[in-house]
Amino acid sequence: MSELSSAAAAANVSGAAPPEAPKLPPRQWAKENLFSSPFSSFLTIATSMVLLVISRALLGFIFNPIRQWNSTATNMQLFFTRAYPDEQYVRVWSSLAAIIILTSVSMAVWRAGSSIPLSRLGRKLLAGAVLLVLLALLAPFSASATIQWTLVAVCVAAIGEGIRRSAGKGEDERSVSSLTVLVVTLAGLVASLWVVPFGHHTYIPSRQPRVLAESGTVALTTKLPWTIMLLIAVAAYLVGRVIRERLPLNPTRVTLLVLWLLAPPVLIYLVLRDPSFDMGHVVSTDLPIFAAYAVGGSLLLSWLTRPSTGEAGRIVAVVILIAGFCTFLTPMRMVVRLDMLLLAVFALAAPTFAGGPRNRKRYVLGWLGVLGVMSWLITAINTPSTVSVPGGFFIGGFSITLMVAVLTLVLSFPLGIALALARTSTMPIFRLLATWFIEFVRGVPLITILIFFSIMVPLFLPRGMHLGEVAAVVIGYVLFSAAYLAENVRGGLQSVTRGQHEAAEAVGMTTAQKTLFIVLPQGLRVAIPPLVGHCIGVFKETSLLAIIGVFDVLYIGRIVIPGQTEFMGSTKENLLFVSVIYWVFAYQMSKASQRLEERTGLGER
Amino acid sequence: MTTAPTTRERVSQRVPLWRDVIVLKWVTQVALLLVVLGTMWFLASQAGDNLRARNINTEFDFLERPVDIQISEGIDTHPDTGGRALWAAMVNTLRLSISGIFFASILGVVVGLARLSDNWIVRRIATGWVEVLRNVPLLVQMVLIYSALTALPRVGLDTGPVNGWLHISNKGISMPRVFIADGFYQWAVVVLVGVLVAHFVRRHRQAVQDETGAHTSPTLWALGTVAVFGLIGLFIHPIFSWLGPVFDGVADLLGSLPNAVPQVLLAAIVVGLAAIWIHRFISSRRSALGHLSISDDDCFRIAFTAVASLAVVALIARWTGFSAWTLNSGQDLFAVMADKFDVDGAARPFDAMRPDIIQKGRFPNYGTNGLSMSLGFASVFFAVVFYTSAFIGENVRGGILAVPKGQTEAAKAVGLGRGQIIRHVVLPQALRVILPPTGNQYLNLTKNTSLAVAVGMSDMVQVGTTVFNQTGMTLPVVAIWMLFYLSCSLTISVIVNWFNVRMRLVER
Repeated sequence: MSELSSAAAAANVSGAAPPEAPKLPPRQWAKENLFSSPFSSFLTIATSMVLLVISRALLGFIFNPIRQWNSTATNMQLFFTRAYPDEQYVRVWSSLAAIIILTSVSMAVWRAGSSIPLSRLGRKLLAGAVLLVLLALLAPFSASATIQWTLVAVCVAAIGEGIRRSAGKGEDERSVSSLTVLVVTLAGLVASLWVVPFGHHTYIPSRQPRVLAESGTVALTTKLPWTIMLLIAVAAYLVGRVIRERLPLNPTRVTLLVLWLLAPPVLIYLVLRDPSFDMGHVVSTDLPIFAAYAVGGSLLLSWLTRPSTGEAGRIVAVVILIAGFCTFLTPMRMVVRLDMLLLAVFALAAPTFAGGPRNRKRYVLGWLGVLGVMSWLITAINTPSTVSVPGGFFIGGFSITLMVAVLTLVLSFPLGIALALARTSTMPIFRLLATWFIEFVRGVPLITILIFFSIMVPLFLPRGMHLGEVAAVVIGYVLFSAAYLAENVRGGLQSVTRGQHEAAEAVGMTTAQKTLFIVLPQGLRVAIPPLVGHCIGVFKETSLLAIIGVFDVLYIGRIVIPGQTEFMGSTKENLLFVSVIYWVFAYQMSKASQRLEERTGLGER
Repeated sequence: MTTAPTTRERVSQRVPLWRDVIVLKWVTQVALLLVVLGTMWFLASQAGDNLRARNINTEFDFLERPVDIQISEGIDTHPDTGGRALWAAMVNTLRLSISGIFFASILGVVVGLARLSDNWIVRRIATGWVEVLRNVPLLVQMVLIYSALTALPRVGLDTGPVNGWLHISNKGISMPRVFIADGFYQWAVVVLVGVLVAHFVRRHRQAVQDETGAHTSPTLWALGTVAVFGLIGLFIHPIFSWLGPVFDGVADLLGSLPNAVPQVLLAAIVVGLAAIWIHRFISSRRSALGHLSISDDDCFRIAFTAVASLAVVALIARWTGFSAWTLNSGQDLFAVMADKFDVDGAARPFDAMRPDIIQKGRFPNYGTNGLSMSLGFASVFFAVVFYTSAFIGENVRGGILAVPKGQTEAAKAVGLGRGQIIRHVVLPQALRVILPPTGNQYLNLTKNTSLAVAVGMSDMVQVGTTVFNQTGMTLPVVAIWMLFYLSCSLTISVIVNWFNVRMRLVER
């Protein structure tokens, strides 16, 4: 009995929030945290002096009248999408809306967000107000500007104090969801677009003077879409809550995950790129190929997944694989070859998923789905785009940073897992090849790989085949990322205990089933924290594309904008802006991963 | 009369060939190997065709041919040949990596300790440092630092924050340089003798400590001995000038030896090393009771070592040029050494020079007297050091937090002092956690110096790019890059692993 209750108590303790440190009155707090010893007092004074000098210099730099901040404001569109045509800009906004809807619905379904006690929120606001006053005093402002900012700080402080007072004490202390705070903040930002006179800046290359700067609020083409985005986000969150209450949880989550996987290629290649499909060609060639593979493949797979098929099925699968390789070496339409290889993969995996009619139907549906998406995408990629962008790739700036990062991660994930499995496999040649590949790639800097691929891939291709520079670079980046990812996954795989392997074998699972259903799910779960770190790394290192000459956000901030005759020598301002963009995204990702670790207790092993 | 089939025979009868797991596994592996090799062959032949079609050859003779490259700094700013240019670039990269690793480690430890400080403001600053630097791409930081440095004042003939001693300008940073002068080698011999004496002093102090239990601080004594010798050596180093004629004699002796002597010696060394390695390897596979268990993998390794050593011996025997080269270079080495000792008795071992500024044409620039770094070097150096210090700081913090509090308390209870606790209890345990990820950071730092290409500093990648743009030799240059960076990575990981093994928990 006592054992049980103590276990319950332990569970209770681990579920509750950690006890907060007792709040001290300010004087005592300062004595303990700033002046606890002579050395500590010296450190406090010295570091605050240094901090004051540095922030004064930084603010002096930012608010220096010779800074050309209007170069950043004017080229905002260039920063995010490069020369994407204005008349088609609705495509960019709708892609963003799609991502926002997916994010909001996922947040609702996975119950993101935590509750923040009102008193803590109030204290944070008060601290923010104090910081604001300090900065306003340090910055080289005119008297009126200083007074303005002080007034703003006083307002913030008043709100904070009000929230703190109304919070209540002890047990019935009220709290607020972090999502509410987020929405209120975002609403404030969007509202400021309508109210505060930021000015209307644009850059029109076809006109003289090319730079347009008007006073007043920002252009309608900026503030209206952002307002709509905010409304969409809130609406999607509410819809997501309804979905969470009404629909069964697991299918919803799986659907959302599939949508997340599909979103990047569909948004990039169908929405943003806008291929002009040649209907005659589609009906005469693409559809028949798809139909043939769909019908033939479905029949074959439904036969292969029948448990009674046995040996013959495996032999057929191997024959298909060999046929796949043969078609790959003969000149033929690329779709046919890729579909054949895909079919071979599905046929080889079929015995693992064999079972009753329900299982078989599911497997065939999976084949049809993957085949359909692949055929559609290949057709779309091979069709010329209607978006006419001068020079280079059809998007640029921050969009291409995100695009390359997402594509690299999505493509390198399966490759990385395969490498990790090969490296931990018992088969020596697999292990050797994987180890060599991984260690080789990890020993070489990314930039040499990128240069190598951007120069050499055109040489490796058979004559008549072309690959854009961005695609070539992405291939190199995928290989690089896969090697690092494989090491992270391997760490996870090694944490799966021997007992799990043995239990799976005792139940009679094949090696493939054991790997797919027992080892990988547990291993990947453990590997989530390092994998998130890897994602942040891949996102940050897309900046290396600038060295190759791809128009990413860094290249635009460093080369393109300072090259405009109106904004000569505005490098520092734009680079500062670029680093702020990167920082905001990477910092949010790392915070999110920390919250994830805390919530699931993953990091504590 | 038929005997009953054994179990093995029955099993092999029951399993047909295409269901035998072993056979299937090997068929799959060989098939994969063939596919990989086939793909590589296919790609290589494509590349060969394409290169031939564009009249690009893939030989390494461009290393000998003249190029037109200017290198931002380092041992040779106007190299004659491609090989020399790559060599100068390699030295630059190594300088950057080694100094970067040194300073990043120091700064990283400071950051890690600051994150654990009792002082609120220090803690917050360290947290801010880590969170900002970790989440902004290194390349962005680098170009930002570069653009900030280009705004420095122009260099003048008599400018600098400390007039004549330290110059910080838009041409880079220049400071006084301490360098080894003519008397250095004689002084080094004095120090070498000092190290020898220190070894015995240390042994003696250690023996006393082991016997009596008194604190005799042997390491401190050894270091002190070396320092004393170094100090005395500054004044008495000419007493070793007699070494010059000795080296001369050795050089003459080496010149008169027949070629067979080094051949036999080298072969004996190679075979001996291989034998020692195999012996050690076998005894390491022996259990405490003397039971030997060797896996197939081990057999392969032993066989490989033996075959490789025999191959090297055969190579030495056949390739007489190599042994002749060893003899010649040995002779040269001793001749050079003799030259080094043949100096004026009053030569100083060290010398220092203040940075100088020369006016070449219209623009003043730094001369070769001071220790100067160009803007590119400075921006790569600072970016890499700051960036890596954030990561190392996190490692240090994690390592110190990983030492259980009970260890410190137990050490206090035994009566150890504060310094002793840190030196003998906390640090060894923390280092065990800190070292492996920090070694990884050193690898990353070395690879990250390749971003110097973005700020125009002449490192391996930048010079390599220029070389292949001028000569069209993409593949050889890329091969040289890969070889260079792989050997750097290998060196660092060997060193870090050596420390790891030394630090490892010795379990029974």
